[in-house]
Amino acid sequence: MLQVQDLSVHYKTRRGFVRALEEFRLDAMPGETLGVVGETGCGKSTLGKAILGILPPGTHVEGKILFRGRDLTQLGNHMYRRLRGEEIGLIFQDPMTRLNPLMTIIDHFVEEIRDHESVSSAEARRRAKEALVSMGIHESRIKNYPHEFSGGMRQRIMIALAIVLKPSLLIADEPTTSLDVIVESQILGILQDLKRAYHMSLLLITHNLGIVAEACDRVAVLYAGKLVELGPVRNIFHKPLHPYTQGLLASIIHLETKELHSIEGGPPDLIAPPSGCRFHPRCPYAQPICVETIPPLVEFEPGHFAACHFGNKFL
Amino acid sequence: MTSLGDTARPELSDEILRLDNVIVHFPVKMSPIQRLLQREELVVHAVDGVSFSVRGGEILGLVGESGCGKTTVGRASVRLIKPTSGRIFFAGQDISKFGGGKLRTLRRRMQIIFQDPHASLNPAMTIGRAIGHPLWIHGLAFGLQKLGSDAFGRWVQQRVLSTMREVGLTPEEQLYEKFPGDLSGGQKQRAVIARALILEPNLLVVDEGVSMLDMSIRAKVLELMLDLKHRHGLTYLFITHDLAAAKFICDRIAIMYLGRIVEIGSARDIYADPKHPYTKALLQVIPIPDPDKRKEKLLPRGEVPDAVHPPAGCRFHPRCPAVLATCGWEGRDFVDFLDEHLSDPKRAGEDESTLGPIEHWRAEGLVARLETNSLSVEKAVERVKTVLATAPVAMTRAVESVSSLNRTVTVRFRPPDLLLQTSIKNRLVECLLYQ
Repeated sequence: MLQVQDLSVHYKTRRGFVRALEEFRLDAMPGETLGVVGETGCGKSTLGKAILGILPPGTHVEGKILFRGRDLTQLGNHMYRRLRGEEIGLIFQDPMTRLNPLMTIIDHFVEEIRDHESVSSAEARRRAKEALVSMGIHESRIKNYPHEFSGGMRQRIMIALAIVLKPSLLIADEPTTSLDVIVESQILGILQDLKRAYHMSLLLITHNLGIVAEACDRVAVLYAGKLVELGPVRNIFHKPLHPYTQGLLASIIHLETKELHSIEGGPPDLIAPPSGCRFHPRCPYAQPICVETIPPLVEFEPGHFAACHFGNKFL
Repeated sequence: MTSLGDTARPELSDEILRLDNVIVHFPVKMSPIQRLLQREELVVHAVDGVSFSVRGGEILGLVGESGCGKTTVGRASVRLIKPTSGRIFFAGQDISKFGGGKLRTLRRRMQIIFQDPHASLNPAMTIGRAIGHPLWIHGLAFGLQKLGSDAFGRWVQQRVLSTMREVGLTPEEQLYEKFPGDLSGGQKQRAVIARALILEPNLLVVDEGVSMLDMSIRAKVLELMLDLKHRHGLTYLFITHDLAAAKFICDRIAIMYLGRIVEIGSARDIYADPKHPYTKALLQVIPIPDPDKRKEKLLPRGEVPDAVHPPAGCRFHPRCPAVLATCGWEGRDFVDFLDEHLSDPKRAGEDESTLGPIEHWRAEGLVARLETNSLSVEKAVERVKTVLATAPVAMTRAVESVSSLNRTVTVRFRPPDLLLQTSIKNRLVECLLYQ
């Protein structure tokens, strides 16, 4: 469905290139929910932007992003516009970055549908109404403006807009981070239902491991622009291989937490990332080889990969 | 730490902070035309009658969703906001009407930390200067500057460095000269804590102090806060939406919803056995980091309503899964229900033509009215009754009458029962289920 091959994304800044993603590999299967987790600056949002072709101009991109056989990095602007919305849907953290404050809700849908398909305005309105009502937006409100809705409703409107053309891949970048916990739970439920109903793949980009445990089939863990671990959600949570994944899981504060854990140090500067394994300065098990050699991504169990020289030795 | 002198720390178990029926209303900004059209002054009921007390050395968690008033309570507690009514006591003194100089003296003993450490630090001020800044501000007030500015400067620097060590902002000599932009998020929050701590306050209000930090460093900052509590007997008002963090750090918690405390008491007891339906809902939605423990959740409907017109009775009643007929049903609850009914093409059927459009309905207090010229009122009354039969049972039972007069259809609800705080199992709950 989606294959990211050796993708490197370097942002140009005055201080030099920020190596936001480095030789990154990932594939998403049809109908699965793939969680992409990591902390601030790990490159998870860059990944979403790279797939959608919305990186800032001047960004240095290498590698391939294959979507249904086509390499997206080679796609022209015109083709990309058709692809976005029609085949790949997008949900942002803040709905107001997608919704135009001067347009009524229904007009967003009519515009989106008629941009991609040659249907009558009446037909577009009918489909828009259907999409909104299915998301719990009352018909009496579809001519309202975005600011007249609550945060959770705006998020539902944005989801409705992202799926109105029935894309096969939905990228959700921190879709619930700005929402309250109860609404967050409601939105996650909606995403799950939709995924099942339309057999969509969902790329769920988040920093919240609790959400990942509840919603994802597989998980990719990013650290400082590198994929450090990838595997089925049960493996990641019960048998994490990479010391970073282990540290991250231990640091979750949940209702059963008896003792607090954290990872020493802070994330590295990606203009001059650490040599070898990028996690070595913070890793409790680091050895000389970790400073010298970049660890390859190795399949330790079927479908469970980790980029650590010592693989499953620290279980 | 060398002590700043005169103010002895109150004994543990002394009451440090007490709020007595505090109300904070903010006026809604209106244009002159809106003002003319609006009969009454509109206010946001940010905090609507909140009472609690915090003992010395205790951590009280103030937990709730955005818009519940927790931040306003925190700000009123350190008197960044003047309460509309009610009284606030700090160490036995009524501070609710303090102003100017008195407030400044008070702030030495109560400090507040905000969510975003980056926004709390002046980007053009070195970390060392920022942390020492309160000493300069308050130094004037308590006359230490007669030491002479050089001697005072050296004394300030020593105190800054020792406070930096205390909060784990090391190597302190190097970080002293850095600017906020050079520090990571966790370091910045430590600097903010150091700045609050340097005055040796009795009370620290922490407003979402760890929410913006990455998971892997959040624990460190929480540990620091606990450590400071143990070492200095600091008292905290810990404001957060994160129930898991609150469980770990708080001795007691207060759950807030739309300007009211719905449940307050021992953290251990509330987490073990939540009583208020809202507390139950909040605890239920905390994600469990274990894919084998996924479960279906019974979520409250909709979202937190507008605090300009909070619901009657118990403010949680329109969303409550355990709602009773006496919880506060009113006219607009019926209009909302009807709107939902008419929006659903499967259910609406011919109701749209008998009862709609929804815009023709008016809700006022306990009553919902439809004035109509074209529809048959008798038929409408019948339809309302049929539709009501499909409503939540509690709402249907709360209806006193459905009647028609001339061209008006009226749905009238019974007045709600009086809601009181009930003491049960080491806590107070504001819910009719326990009254």
